[in-house]
Amino acid sequence: MSKLDAIIEEFQDLDARDRLELLLDFAEKLAELPAAYEAERDAGLHRVPECMTPTFLWVECISGRVSIHAYVAPEAPTVKGFVSILVEAFNGTRPDEVATVPTDLLHRLGLAELLGMNRLRGLNAVQQRLKNEIGKASVLAVKG
Amino acid sequence: MTEFVHPEVLVSCDWVEQNRSQTDSIRIVESDEDILLYEQGHIAGAVKLDWTTDLQDAVVRDYVSQARFEELCAERGISNETIVVFYGDKNNWWACYAFWVFKLFGHEKCLIMNGSRKKWELDKRPMTREASKYPRGIYKAKEPNNSIRAFRDEVLAHMQARKPLVDVRSPGEYTGEMLHMPDYPQEGALRAGHIPGAVNVPWSRACNDDGTFKSRDQLEQLYLVEQQLKPSDEVIAYCRIGERSSLTWYVLTYLLGFSKVKNYDGSWTEWGNLVGAPIEKTYAYKK
Repeated sequence: MSKLDAIIEEFQDLDARDRLELLLDFAEKLAELPAAYEAERDAGLHRVPECMTPTFLWVECISGRVSIHAYVAPEAPTVKGFVSILVEAFNGTRPDEVATVPTDLLHRLGLAELLGMNRLRGLNAVQQRLKNEIGKASVLAVKG
Repeated sequence: MTEFVHPEVLVSCDWVEQNRSQTDSIRIVESDEDILLYEQGHIAGAVKLDWTTDLQDAVVRDYVSQARFEELCAERGISNETIVVFYGDKNNWWACYAFWVFKLFGHEKCLIMNGSRKKWELDKRPMTREASKYPRGIYKAKEPNNSIRAFRDEVLAHMQARKPLVDVRSPGEYTGEMLHMPDYPQEGALRAGHIPGAVNVPWSRACNDDGTFKSRDQLEQLYLVEQQLKPSDEVIAYCRIGERSSLTWYVLTYLLGFSKVKNYDGSWTEWGNLVGAPIEKTYAYKK
């Protein structure tokens, strides 16, 4: 079972209130952005423009493995939690595994019903961004 | 400084801190864009109310029924006579939206905490993670009060009669340069621009950086002087889904004393998708 499947299973076993608590746990364990990336963030680079809250993703492919760094503004714990799930699921995996992220991930996690229609788009954009970036990064890695 | 026209519907963070323990008569309600903020920490004693999963019907694009509204109030220990104080993230957008929905169902005593969650946090006031539970309230909702809610046919007639329309979105959305709020991509509208004749006063111009409302003098300058609106005018405010415009509705109605303001909750996600709806687009691509 992949790490993502394990996380999905963990969410699916919970009721709505506990799913929020688990998402909050994820939000709180998102690693701090390493200092080396701060200048790029402050210059507005690597921002996910679809997200209303300042959200930044660095997706790299190092020695054939995915490496993700992220920064999400503290006033948006929901986005932070979701990004943290993606980091947990894909940091260190092979790039082709990222392509398997289901497009309905938020539904599978049982979060879609808690978010409601209006909030889904920004979060979907985060996972799309991850897929696109890893596509680019792995192409660069092969070329390089 | 001149007092607001209806100062009784606005309270400070200090007031909330001093009065929050009077849970028999007062209920503090947090309403946010972010679904985890309440869990991350809230004002002790506050209950959570989600603008989408609690206030909107899950199937039809509309608000919940009277019966459902009664239940969601009762569950939170809110009765008809309870003083409900709303606050939330994003400069109180969702707090004003919830306030507006409560008014739609005829709730009498609604207040907004000036400064929103932002000021409370800036002041480093205490927050808790403990969810609050109260004995059930007894609630009887009134028939929806549509004198504060505009529907599309009415908006069309209002536009044709050249009555004032206030578009509170960002300038880029208003001119038609972009279809959505900066950072809210493709939020469901097929056409960009604004309702013909609408003026553009972005909601944010009514707020200070710390989340509080601007003073009455500053607000009068904005709406009465710059836009030449009169408190006796019939005004319809709209945005994308009716949340930012509920803040403007609140400002015009209570802080400036306009008596005939409606919020068009269908807003651009309805108008920008309606077949044949007239649209004015002032943005032209530069060649």
